Amino acid sequence: MEVRERGDGAGRERVRLTLRGTWRGAVEIVPIALFVLPFGIAFGAAASAKAVPPEIAVLMSATVYAGASQFAVLDLWLAPLPLGMLAVTVLAVNARHILLGATLAPWLLQLPLARRLLALSVLSDANFAQSLAAHERGETDAGVLLGGGLAMWFPWVFGTTLGASSGALLGDLSRFGFDAVMATYFAAILCGRWQGRRDLAPWATAAVASLIAANLLAPGWHIIAGALAGGLAGALAHGD
Amino acid sequence: MVTETSAVAGVLVMVLVTFATRVAGVWVMSHFPITPRLEAFLKAMGSSVLIAIIVPATVSGAPRLWLAVGAAVLVMATTRSALAAMIVGTAAAGLARSIGG
Repeated sequence: MEVRERGDGAGRERVRLTLRGTWRGAVEIVPIALFVLPFGIAFGAAASAKAVPPEIAVLMSATVYAGASQFAVLDLWLAPLPLGMLAVTVLAVNARHILLGATLAPWLLQLPLARRLLALSVLSDANFAQSLAAHERGETDAGVLLGGGLAMWFPWVFGTTLGASSGALLGDLSRFGFDAVMATYFAAILCGRWQGRRDLAPWATAAVASLIAANLLAPGWHIIAGALAGGLAGALAHGD
Repeated sequence: MVTETSAVAGVLVMVLVTFATRVAGVWVMSHFPITPRLEAFLKAMGSSVLIAIIVPATVSGAPRLWLAVGAAVLVMATTRSALAAMIVGTAAAGLARSIGG
């Protein structure tokens, strides 16, 4: 698969972040962003069910902008608020961001600091997957990451507002829709990244490690375990 | 009842921790030379993160989720369009649900 290698080479060209690229990233992710809305509504509804005031739920969505960790803290939202516990829980659920960022580092390190931080401030699973695919096809505009993140921010905050103000409505259905959309999107991105037999060992390692860890570790950590195990398997296979 | 002040403090803690996780990966990598082996690690990790997110969720999920992922892989393999794969996969899951799958 020598053809694919050219894509990587192109990725080493000067990376920039432009308004045009940001817009392109935003438009590209619209189908995913639409499905963020019901998930936002579900979060707003869940927050109101835990007696979190609407303005706090909306503030959280607008500034934290990391769905899984926001759901995770709802169970801790009791007076007096356990700030330390809150920090540890958010760190556990969001630690995967560290790995996502590290993966995009060869790309993002070519940007000036302010633009790099701006693009990273909206990093999430979906626009990471989008950026990975873009990087692979030789995209040199990191606006894809920023645009994808911004395009999902609006429905997330708007959905939270709707859900928080209208109480518990859509529960299971919206969550299901989100799960299927995300799972199919990630599966499609993975399919595009498949480069043949040499990917088998790291991918299988990631799958097995994440499955085992999902049964042993606290929620969130299985993603870290699977990612690190797969990465190590890839690095080991590289020397062969 | 959580007071407004402590709620805002709680959100602030969440913001700081989350932002730190978002920028930490690139920051750490800026302190190591990115060797070919490290690049192979990062590349494998990119796919592995996605695998670690969807595999446990799909395995422990309903059969219609397996159907959705299977359909998406099939469509992606034939059309190379992530959008088409996503739409067909999600539609398959919706259909399976409506007929009681």
